[in-house]
Amino acid sequence: MSIATENAQKIAVKGNTPKHDKTNKIVSGSEALILSLIEEGVDTIFGYPGGAIMPIYDALYHYRHVLNHTLVRHEQGATHAAEGYAQMAGKPGVCFATSGPGATNLITGIADAMLDSVPIVCITGQVPEKFLGTDAFQETDVMSLAMPITKWCYQVADADEIPYIVAKAFYIARSGRPGPVLIDITKCAQFNQLKKPFKYEKRRQIKGYKPACKPREKDISKAAELLNNAKRPFLFVGHGVLLSKAEKDLLAFIEKTDIPVASTLLGLSAFPTDHPNYVGMLGMHGNYAPNKLTNKADVIISVGMRFDDRVTGNLDTYAKQAKIIHVDIDHAEMGKNVTPTVPLIADAKEALQALLPVVNENKHESWHLEFKKLHDEEYEKVIKKDFQAEGEHIKMAEVIRRLSEKTDGEAVIVADVGQHQMSAARYSKFRRTDSWLTSGGLGTMGYALPSAFGAKMGAPDREVVAVIGDGCFQMTIQELGTIAQSGLPVKIIVLNNNFLGMVRQWQQLFFDNRYSFVELSNPDFITIAKGFGINGQRCTHTDDLDASLDTLLNSKEAYLLEIVVEKETNVFPMVPSGMGVDDIRLE
Amino acid sequence: MKRRYTIIVFTENNFGLLNRITIIFSRRRINIESLTVSETERKGVSRFTIVIDYDETKIQKLIQQIRKIIGVLVVFHNEDDQVFFGQIAYFKVITSSFEEREKVMEIAHRHQAKIAFSAGDYVVIEKTGKEEDISTTLHLLEPHGVVEYCKSGRIAIVKDQHRFSKYAKNMDPEGWYSDEEFHELPLNGKH
Ligand SMILES: Cc1ncc(C[n+]2csc(CCOP(=O)(O)OP(=O)(O)O)c2C)c(N)n1
Repeated sequence: MSIATENAQKIAVKGNTPKHDKTNKIVSGSEALILSLIEEGVDTIFGYPGGAIMPIYDALYHYRHVLNHTLVRHEQGATHAAEGYAQMAGKPGVCFATSGPGATNLITGIADAMLDSVPIVCITGQVPEKFLGTDAFQETDVMSLAMPITKWCYQVADADEIPYIVAKAFYIARSGRPGPVLIDITKCAQFNQLKKPFKYEKRRQIKGYKPACKPREKDISKAAELLNNAKRPFLFVGHGVLLSKAEKDLLAFIEKTDIPVASTLLGLSAFPTDHPNYVGMLGMHGNYAPNKLTNKADVIISVGMRFDDRVTGNLDTYAKQAKIIHVDIDHAEMGKNVTPTVPLIADAKEALQALLPVVNENKHESWHLEFKKLHDEEYEKVIKKDFQAEGEHIKMAEVIRRLSEKTDGEAVIVADVGQHQMSAARYSKFRRTDSWLTSGGLGTMGYALPSAFGAKMGAPDREVVAVIGDGCFQMTIQELGTIAQSGLPVKIIVLNNNFLGMVRQWQQLFFDNRYSFVELSNPDFITIAKGFGINGQRCTHTDDLDASLDTLLNSKEAYLLEIVVEKETNVFPMVPSGMGVDDIRLE
Repeated sequence: MKRRYTIIVFTENNFGLLNRITIIFSRRRINIESLTVSETERKGVSRFTIVIDYDETKIQKLIQQIRKIIGVLVVFHNEDDQVFFGQIAYFKVITSSFEEREKVMEIAHRHQAKIAFSAGDYVVIEKTGKEEDISTTLHLLEPHGVVEYCKSGRIAIVKDQHRFSKYAKNMDPEGWYSDEEFHELPLNGKH
């Protein structure tokens, strides 16, 4: 049996993790780490070994049938895979890396997880304690590097701390507003035997840390009053709805109140796109109607979103006429960008559940018509043109439209960063929740390929399709090797325009057509994939588009479909940076 | 408008917390005027006293960000009239003759400063008080030859006992603000 099929089988039978019998035994720090991970319900790890983490890898060897470790090709890949995994499996993703370059290679992915509130737990090896601060081989001060980009980080130099610190790390990563944590473990702490027998206790609280609180009645009734009297209410869905699994509650809330719903980039798939109340995406490349009408709404209720500058554009002209009900679990988000009339500090699910009985049943027909009118305008001026495919002129949007149709809005779409990301966000149809992964906050090129792999690990039963630009693909292309070795059928679409398209678009629109270093001379992606053992084909003509998408989707193995798209198409609508949401341009 | 704030942070006594707190300031390009870290009467709890000049419309956002740090137990900010505060300064003044020394001691005496140490040809004068008092003392001593001068950061006691204990009780055992108290914490744009 090949490694690939063996791996695939191992993943298929995961679930019933055998218990270990090491409780109350003296074990080494490394083994304590592995046992602690098992206690936390971890069964999947993405990592890359090296000198300073070798004792942990040695302990892992003994537990390789319990903990499924994937060897990535670059530590950044491990972090993004852990992100994709975390979001699909609904539990923290775990990464291992060695000290020095291993740890620094994690940094981009950790920063990504921080901005997008993704729970990942990174374990790094560190040089022995006596070498700390001596510029020893592969010593990097990873704690100082990680501090501003983690929810929490900690360096362990005493093996006995390991179970306690792992429990704390997992509790922090997944509670409240989730985020990345990092544990740096010195080599001695890995080697040394614990002085006390191994015992594990899950954390339920930490002094000074208030991850969540119940919504306050007074706020709920104030919010309900605003909503019940609103003539033009508007609801924004953010990532928080997915994180708190509040999709059903949201649906019930909307069916009762009839409020129009728009989504942020990371909120996509929390609300079905074919629902009559869904009016599209907010933000810079969002839809016309929701951006324009943000400045017409009288009451805005935002659920689990943070009024990011890509959503709000110029804050000075943003929703000034509206009373804002801001639902967020994170106290520090209240008033950070937009001052709410009612700050509703709570988990999205709890807030929606508390609101449901106190909001009135309502109809907002004329308000919906305003959205419809603007949507029709966008359709005429933008969407219709985007759905063109003639001969060798294939547009990204048309690819996404057909992909959505063929997958019936049921696939998990993992988008990278750039024009293709915005096309995928705008034109994917979502009928199922948790069907959209992308790097929103950090905009990390190279996110999609490893994240799609992680997503497939986290949800093996779902079709996972990565949508990647030719620039992004080359940032983490080596993870094709990881995918091939795992044997998992990850579907990859590369939308090739031979440009760093999004940057080219800005240069065209705002820098007088000066295309400064944005043209790519690309390798033969199909040959590269074949070299990794992954099949693929290149589609250059509209006539082949359907058939090639079918081949991709029907493949039982990983597959790469490169689609050559129009070189110089721009993504519209667009709120030019620094402008207000109602300055949104259709062309 | 910019105002002077004394931020008081109670934290667990852990490695790295100083770093974690200061990066909140440096990331926003806020200059820290003074920073004092000290032990408290509670075991394992440290007290940070941080003085900054900062925009009154942004101070609350900053506090909310500091509160988010794991290991921070309590944080709140005060304007100068809400705290009793002071600093301590040492001045090393050369006193080559007996008359010199008499003069310097006389100045110290008049300004509620004391002679903390004296050697053959210099004295160390200790002055506690507000920023202005310390600079006046410096000003008066300078003509006599101040060869070394140092000043501590500000330390501050909260005047309103009720306000302080409202925050302080959240340092107590495991656990933290009740939901109700948490909701009552000040938010940016609302007080
Ligand atoms: C790591 C990183 N470097 C640079 C950027 C800036 N950037 C944003 S989009 C983009 C172009 C992406 O090009 P491509 O993958 O070809 O996608 P396209 O926009 O053409 O669809 C660049 C360079 C980024 N987001 N991330």
